[in-house]
Amino acid sequence: MKASQAIFVMVIVSAITVIGNWLFTDLEINPINALPGMAILALIAFLGWALSEATGRALPPIVFVSLLGIIATTPWTPGSEWVLAQTTGVEFLATTTPVLAYAGISIGRDIDKFTAMGWRILVVGAVVLTGTFICSAAIAHVTMNLLGMT
Amino acid sequence: MAAEERADQSRNQLPQFMYNWKLHGIVLVLVIIAEFIGLHTFQVGPGTVLLLPMLYALVIGIFLGPRFLKVASEKDMEDASPLITLSVLILVAKLGTNVGPNLPIIIESGVPLLLQEFGNLGTLLIGMPVAVLLGFKRESIGATFSQAREGSLAIIGDYYGLDGPEGRGVLGVYIFGTVLGAIYNGIMGGFVASLGIFHPYAVGMASGIGSASMMSAASGGAAAALPEFADEILSFAATSNLLTSATGLYVMIFISIPLAERYYKFLSRDTGEEESTEA
Repeated sequence: MKASQAIFVMVIVSAITVIGNWLFTDLEINPINALPGMAILALIAFLGWALSEATGRALPPIVFVSLLGIIATTPWTPGSEWVLAQTTGVEFLATTTPVLAYAGISIGRDIDKFTAMGWRILVVGAVVLTGTFICSAAIAHVTMNLLGMT
Repeated sequence: MAAEERADQSRNQLPQFMYNWKLHGIVLVLVIIAEFIGLHTFQVGPGTVLLLPMLYALVIGIFLGPRFLKVASEKDMEDASPLITLSVLILVAKLGTNVGPNLPIIIESGVPLLLQEFGNLGTLLIGMPVAVLLGFKRESIGATFSQAREGSLAIIGDYYGLDGPEGRGVLGVYIFGTVLGAIYNGIMGGFVASLGIFHPYAVGMASGIGSASMMSAASGGAAAALPEFADEILSFAATSNLLTSATGLYVMIFISIPLAERYYKFLSRDTGEEESTEA
């Protein structure tokens, strides 16, 4: 994919996102006000994508995008306050909705396989949440004991 | 590796997918409908069930195909797949900007808090055998490599595509976590805390799994069970949650995914299962 094409997609998704964001915030943050923040997020996304392509996809684009997002907003980064003031106008949940809409349409192809997971995926989901919780608690507990923190 | 082939495929796809205006139009309408319905919560017993706009967008989207609502064509559904991988980058950028401001707290958070992040691998160790036993094939990888939050969707989308078996797995658990995660974690947090096996601080740290609603529910449940430690539990949970949102992506990419692939090969050989459900 060419850079111009990636930019094209970013612009479309950004446009959809700011409209969704407008409704999500109960018409408080209109698309014009959200625009600078949205542009920053899209720019970070594009630069991360470009870095991944430039390095022959040595690492997936998400790694670069996430790093750039963090670097742009640490308290030690000059101008990070301004960046944050803009990006807080774009709600996290508003950025998830378009992605899940594309995802829904895409998995509609295998709707049978998806619904066939049924109750079994609920069991797996419950085990997954329990597994994380118990293992994290166990590691924290043992480490605290070893360090004499209890 | 199958993952790389898949990624190559989606990259070499004709770029026409991005000029599918009908598809973008459908997504815009889905987003408008979803945000219009808005966020809803309701109480069930001791916990809260959460319905978020993205969930409506996902579920309506699934039923748009030729067999049900006949809005999206085969081509639209095909074109949507590479667009997930790109659109999710904006979401990841937003996640990053949520982490940046908290970097000082995260750096100062201390050894036990850092190490318990590896407890997230517990999903894999305990979850995958259960998934394989329940008859899941490569769905098991997506379903159990992480707690299936937004970052997990981004990773599975990038490595395997969300429309494959791994994608179905991660989306299934994602939906479970989104709707029922808060109520489930609330009950579990309180229950585990009341058992008294783990130090209350440890239970607090375990409550932070990279989702604000699940973290609040789990630590709230634990704090209610152990009111004398409530403040510490809540603050350890919040810090741990920040830590997970910062480190989670990297742990998943560099440890969980490779480990999940090997573990799956090992387990599926054990049960004599086929390697893939793909026809």
